[in-house]
Amino acid sequence: MNNMNNLFKTKLIVILAVVLCMPSCSDDFLDRPPEDSYNVAEFYETTEQVNVATNALYVRPWYNFVTNVSWCIGELSSGNGRTWDPRNADFVNFAITGEHGTLTQAWESLYAVVAQANAVINTLPDAAGPSVPQDVVDNAVGEARFIRASAYFYLVRIFGPIPIIADNNEYVLEPVVPRNPESDVYEFIKRDLQFAVDNCYEKIRGANYDANAKVSSGSAKAMLAKVYLYEQNYPMAYQLASEVINSGEFKLYGGDAEDGDPTGSYYDLFLTANDNNPESIFALQWTNTGIYAEGNGVQSLFAPAGVTGFSDGWSAIGPSIDLQEAYEDTEQDLRYYATIMAPGAFYPDLNGGYTVSETIDHQGCNVGVKKYVIGSAASNGGGASQSYPNNTYVLRYGELLLIHAEAALNGGGSVAEGINSFNKIRRRAGLDEIANPTLEDVFQERRIELAFEMEFWYDVVRQGPDFALNFLSNTERGTFNDDTSPPTINSETFPASMDDLLFPYPSNEIQNNPALLEAPVPYEFE
Amino acid sequence: MQKINLKNIYGSRYYYTFLLFCLVGQLAFAQTQVKGVVTDENGMALPGVNILEKGTSNGVYTDFDGNYVITVKDNATLVFSYLGFVTQETAVSGRVSINVTLVESLESLDEVVVIGYGSQLKEDLSGSVSTIDTEALNNLPQVSVDQLMQGRASGVSITQNSGQPGSAVSVRIRGVNTISGSAEPLYIIDGVPISGDSNNISTSGRSIADNDLGQGDGATGVSPLAALNPSDIESINILKDASATAIYGSRGANGVVIITTKSGKNKKGTLRYNTYLAIQRPTNFYEVMDLSQYARLQNEMAEIYGLNPQIEFLNPSLLGPGTNWQQEIFDDAVMQSHEVSFSGGNEDVNYFLSAGYLDQDGTVIGSGFDRINVRANVGANITDKIKVGANLTASRTNDKLTLNNATNGIIYLSLLNNPATAVYNPDGSFAGPDLDDDFKFENPIARALSLSNRLERNRFFGNIFAELKLGKNLTYRTEFGGDFGNNVSDRFQPTFSYGEITGGESALSVRRENNDFWILKNILTFQKKFNNKHDVTVMLGQEAQESKWQGVIASDGEFVSNDVPILGTGNAIDNTDQYKGSTALSSYFGRAIYSFDNKYNITASIRADGSSKFAEGNKWGYFPSVSASWRLSNENFMDDFDAIQNIKIYGGYGEVGNQAIPNFAYGARLNTVSTGLGTGFEFANFANEDLKWESSTQTNLGLDFSVFDSRLNATVEVYNKVSKDFLYQLAVTDFITGGNSPGAIAAPWVNLGEMVNKGIDVTLNYKTKGSQDFSWNSSLTFSHYKNEVKELLGDLTIFGEMTMNTSNQNVTITQVGQPIGLFYGYKVEGIFRTLDDINGAPVQFGRPFEDALFSTTWLGDIKFKDINGDGVVNTDDRTVIGNPHPDFTFGFQNSFNYKNFDLSIFMQGSYGNDVFNAVNRSLTAGNQTYTNQLPSVLDYWSVDNPNASNPRLARNDTPNINISDRYIEDGSYLRIQNVTLGYTLPSDATSTFGINRLRVYGMIQNLYTFTKYSGYDPEIGVYNQNALLMGVDNGRYPTPRIFTLGLNVEF
Repeated sequence: MNNMNNLFKTKLIVILAVVLCMPSCSDDFLDRPPEDSYNVAEFYETTEQVNVATNALYVRPWYNFVTNVSWCIGELSSGNGRTWDPRNADFVNFAITGEHGTLTQAWESLYAVVAQANAVINTLPDAAGPSVPQDVVDNAVGEARFIRASAYFYLVRIFGPIPIIADNNEYVLEPVVPRNPESDVYEFIKRDLQFAVDNCYEKIRGANYDANAKVSSGSAKAMLAKVYLYEQNYPMAYQLASEVINSGEFKLYGGDAEDGDPTGSYYDLFLTANDNNPESIFALQWTNTGIYAEGNGVQSLFAPAGVTGFSDGWSAIGPSIDLQEAYEDTEQDLRYYATIMAPGAFYPDLNGGYTVSETIDHQGCNVGVKKYVIGSAASNGGGASQSYPNNTYVLRYGELLLIHAEAALNGGGSVAEGINSFNKIRRRAGLDEIANPTLEDVFQERRIELAFEMEFWYDVVRQGPDFALNFLSNTERGTFNDDTSPPTINSETFPASMDDLLFPYPSNEIQNNPALLEAPVPYEFE
Repeated sequence: MQKINLKNIYGSRYYYTFLLFCLVGQLAFAQTQVKGVVTDENGMALPGVNILEKGTSNGVYTDFDGNYVITVKDNATLVFSYLGFVTQETAVSGRVSINVTLVESLESLDEVVVIGYGSQLKEDLSGSVSTIDTEALNNLPQVSVDQLMQGRASGVSITQNSGQPGSAVSVRIRGVNTISGSAEPLYIIDGVPISGDSNNISTSGRSIADNDLGQGDGATGVSPLAALNPSDIESINILKDASATAIYGSRGANGVVIITTKSGKNKKGTLRYNTYLAIQRPTNFYEVMDLSQYARLQNEMAEIYGLNPQIEFLNPSLLGPGTNWQQEIFDDAVMQSHEVSFSGGNEDVNYFLSAGYLDQDGTVIGSGFDRINVRANVGANITDKIKVGANLTASRTNDKLTLNNATNGIIYLSLLNNPATAVYNPDGSFAGPDLDDDFKFENPIARALSLSNRLERNRFFGNIFAELKLGKNLTYRTEFGGDFGNNVSDRFQPTFSYGEITGGESALSVRRENNDFWILKNILTFQKKFNNKHDVTVMLGQEAQESKWQGVIASDGEFVSNDVPILGTGNAIDNTDQYKGSTALSSYFGRAIYSFDNKYNITASIRADGSSKFAEGNKWGYFPSVSASWRLSNENFMDDFDAIQNIKIYGGYGEVGNQAIPNFAYGARLNTVSTGLGTGFEFANFANEDLKWESSTQTNLGLDFSVFDSRLNATVEVYNKVSKDFLYQLAVTDFITGGNSPGAIAAPWVNLGEMVNKGIDVTLNYKTKGSQDFSWNSSLTFSHYKNEVKELLGDLTIFGEMTMNTSNQNVTITQVGQPIGLFYGYKVEGIFRTLDDINGAPVQFGRPFEDALFSTTWLGDIKFKDINGDGVVNTDDRTVIGNPHPDFTFGFQNSFNYKNFDLSIFMQGSYGNDVFNAVNRSLTAGNQTYTNQLPSVLDYWSVDNPNASNPRLARNDTPNINISDRYIEDGSYLRIQNVTLGYTLPSDATSTFGINRLRVYGMIQNLYTFTKYSGYDPEIGVYNQNALLMGVDNGRYPTPRIFTLGLNVEF
């Protein structure tokens, strides 16, 4: 029994020692930093880390906007496309309400871009380590401000007056945020772009396409030219466009222009292999992982069934009769083949050779969409359903030349130079030059050049309500009736009203932030 | 049968010894030898029964076969006492052979209640603790213990979130206490804490089940408690008020459920075999349109959308019924269970060993669950001062998962799918929609059967402990517990082709996850009784716990065939993703219990918790409690008062905390993503360095009493619970966070506000006395609570948002002064039937009154109410349209025994709660092509049908489907949850085969539900355990009806 008691005491001491030891360990014990992600406070220590800080701004936050909404607005509402899908048809017939889930994705997605850009803009300057050169930090902040400006540019064009958020942390617990007038949003955008002009690296786009991927000082100038065009400040638009052209940074892919790159073509612009070709000014940089939202989902909506290799390929939009008739010559204009799939057309590069079905009939249009349809993962170096690696253009040099032309024709600068730029586009498309183009010619050229690049709606609306309402209300959005031979048109047009030129805020957001229903409040610039 | 180990320490022995001393004092003369056998009611020998000559210290024990021999005086009286049995006295009266049958003591079962870090006599209890009668739970065909507790304890509201086998349930103890992700209680299984949160909010942040079954966010939560075989459970005690849970401090805010598993009895070894076979059957179907009705609808819709008419629908009356998709996806499903257990022991060693197998197919095609589990519980006294033991269980569960509770879930698909499409093609392959269908639904059968999503969970948990007697009154206990899990999840989508929907590429996603949790406890307990009146127990403890997780997700695709999908063999780009992390909690606690003369009891406790969830300076939380009770009936002045017995009044106050949030929520993290530019980094979340503990204070007042000679026991408790600084991930607007968009920045966790739950819990128990042929035992529980939000960062309004039919909808509103999560939307006044209705009516949503198909309001549209009277109907006219909180819930358990027959009936229900029927919303929308609907939709308004019940058919943009009280229904129900009839063969008939007991029984689970609810099942639960989405029916997997035949054998 004595032994037993001794044993007890020994054990007891050991155990008590363990007990007493615990508190001394507990400071470390209770410190659990993240193990599978970086703590923001400890990132940005090296140049490498600062250089990759902006990568994500080119991809994921844009996904919902680009894949699900931008074509609904840019192509369906504008009348370039039509659909029977009950949900998306609301875009065709101006029946969009704040309840519409697809529209909500535009709001969320573009503001997600703003939020991520703001986080970089507001964190980097203070957080960057002492070893990181200042110009590296400034370039990264410049890129982020460029991208923020691009997101606000879409937001203001879609929704009109919106809240300008420069630092999300200020409002994270504040639901009631006033909206700011459109003019302030434009001012905010211009300041961002000017910062990017001043701080981003200057580049010359060459044959190393990978090096072209990120935006440059020249990209910002080009975007700024476009913003000035929307503001009808034609001299500034012209001047900036000229500077971009004269810098030699970008090239027109294909054609015979002196600032052209004869190795490419209009068709080649949209092949995955040619991502970041010298015509690309700003493009979203999707990846081939196939992970949802890391790749481009556009062809899932545009392609005919079977082309992608997955269950997507929903042919959700058909090129409207109106658009088809807008082509001067579907044979001569090389852009038709690159944009629209006609029955029986053959695409040698698509999945190693693809012949369009003779009965192709997207949404009653008797044709399908080709642009941004790139085929299977195998033929594009990867990807998966709703996630393909091909870039999405936000701005390319072809458009810049048309901006140049439009600004010039509006009295912003040398008309001759403008016409020269205009005809470079015509020539590349295989069309004859127009000696004395009008503004209507530029509008028409933009429509065809940028068809299915989700741009046309904004071009229509910025012509002013008189033009826009007339145009939108008379666009042929009907279908072909194939029961007759040749097919006749079941005509459909939908009257647009002033309210329809801006899209409504999501209803949930009006509930969350009732200030969206009140008059815009001037933004306080620093 | 039911007996609690810890009783040895506190209860019965004390009591019997005490008894012994009191009875000293008899004299006797001649000595005689008496012998005999002691058995229980089933005739089974009882070894170790204490036989005392009354009034002396002369005593013996029965041997292994229940035999005893004792020499006593002629006129002696023998006292037979045995733990868990009624002590019996028999006068010798000159006999030499006395065989005794001891009756199991029912009262003694309830005597000791397990409380946190100890146990207490029920009569001394001053906190609110519900004990669930586990006897009634035996053999119920339920997979996990959380489901079993339904309706069994007052103040505990349990709803099954889904009828899918193995799915998570939501357990709410005394109302909703927090609106952060998890309001689930803490489970303590044999001392090992296990969270009830299926979404793992506070650890990896990833739901156990791979919920990436497609787009959308359906409910796929699986129960974290599925690893525990309910048959292994000895007792369930639910700590409800803060004075009881405060000892669990940080994790006790949502209540604590203490589960103790079985241990061996101090008697001859027994072998039990239990088995049942059950058939599960869906209870009811929605009546959706058949083919001819559908064709009529399509013809109308085609006109509205300007589609070319479908030739095959030209004469709908000639069409047959078409495909009944519901009948195709629902099927009778078999469930079977086998379990064997061995238990036994002697004075020094006891053991309980069990093994079980359960296999459950789901009533929805493609779903299922199975489990294999083994358990070993062992206890031993190494010396009279050292006691050691272990409770260990290992289990493997397999879930076959389908996506439900989402618009693209199997059930939704079956309801909305086109009856014109066949399930199979003539060649046996899956059929699909035709080319003409621009709005295609997948074949749900194909989806359910071809997509394989399996989750295997391996889990090992339990504890090992040593208890030392350091002196007469001082005990030291050290305990190490662990919960080690490994989840293997494989999801494979083979190539397929259903009609026009084809998938040329296959895709595989696998997930491997390890979770390690350990807990170390050191507890010192001092217990002493002074002067036979002052009973003091002081407990001091220390505890440290750590939870670690890590996992890898990898994917591949484009396999050569669908036969052997293995990572690395497919042609697709291989993707991998790794995650890991850990949390820790360090705690110190103490408790003092003082009771005086079995009349007064006062308990005080305090706990300090340090959590890794908070930044430096906010890590530690302190949680005190105090409670007291007064046993009125033990007062002398009550001696003559017999009408009411066992009166006890008690009350308490306590504070508990909550820290169930993700790690490092106080700081900002970067997520790594892939981009075309190489690796990229996204800001993952907004930081909040000021984040601190959520605390909950609760005041509880209770009254226990018995009447009718202690046959009817009643407990009435009222409480007031205040949750302060509750933790919530607050997204005030989508333009700050980015909402649901990829790349959105997660909203910050904040201490949001204050909420009060007041309520009353009533439990009534009735049982007939004695061992007559007939006995009846009945238990009624009744619970009511009232929830009110007091503060939301000032007076913020929070909306419960949910994705329905691809659109985000605010379904509920939470604002100061009202209960949490009220349904929110428009009020419907009727349908615009005539031009008179339209004249002067407020313009709705800015849509002019005009005879057009879209962007207008016209005859046949829903007339919404202008709530604020401003002359127009717009978003400002939303209001509260329903309340998901019940007025009360109840459970009513009845057990009858007549000779060898036993019958039990369990009813359970809820009254006064509303349900938002999102399924009905989709099924009556009448605004889309190629979408099936309820037949009532055909009674749509038209000029020819002005008295229609439904609005006109319309285009997609119609406001007729805005969230409104059209979709609010009364969710009250009374369910006959279980009826069991059993028969135990007479023991003399079975004993010849060496069988002690043989019982056969038949049972019907979920027999019938009385309800006005039009959906599958009024028991909706909480959508993905989100407190803001209570009572929203979005295609919930309905709970099936189960017919069971079972057998219990004991050797």
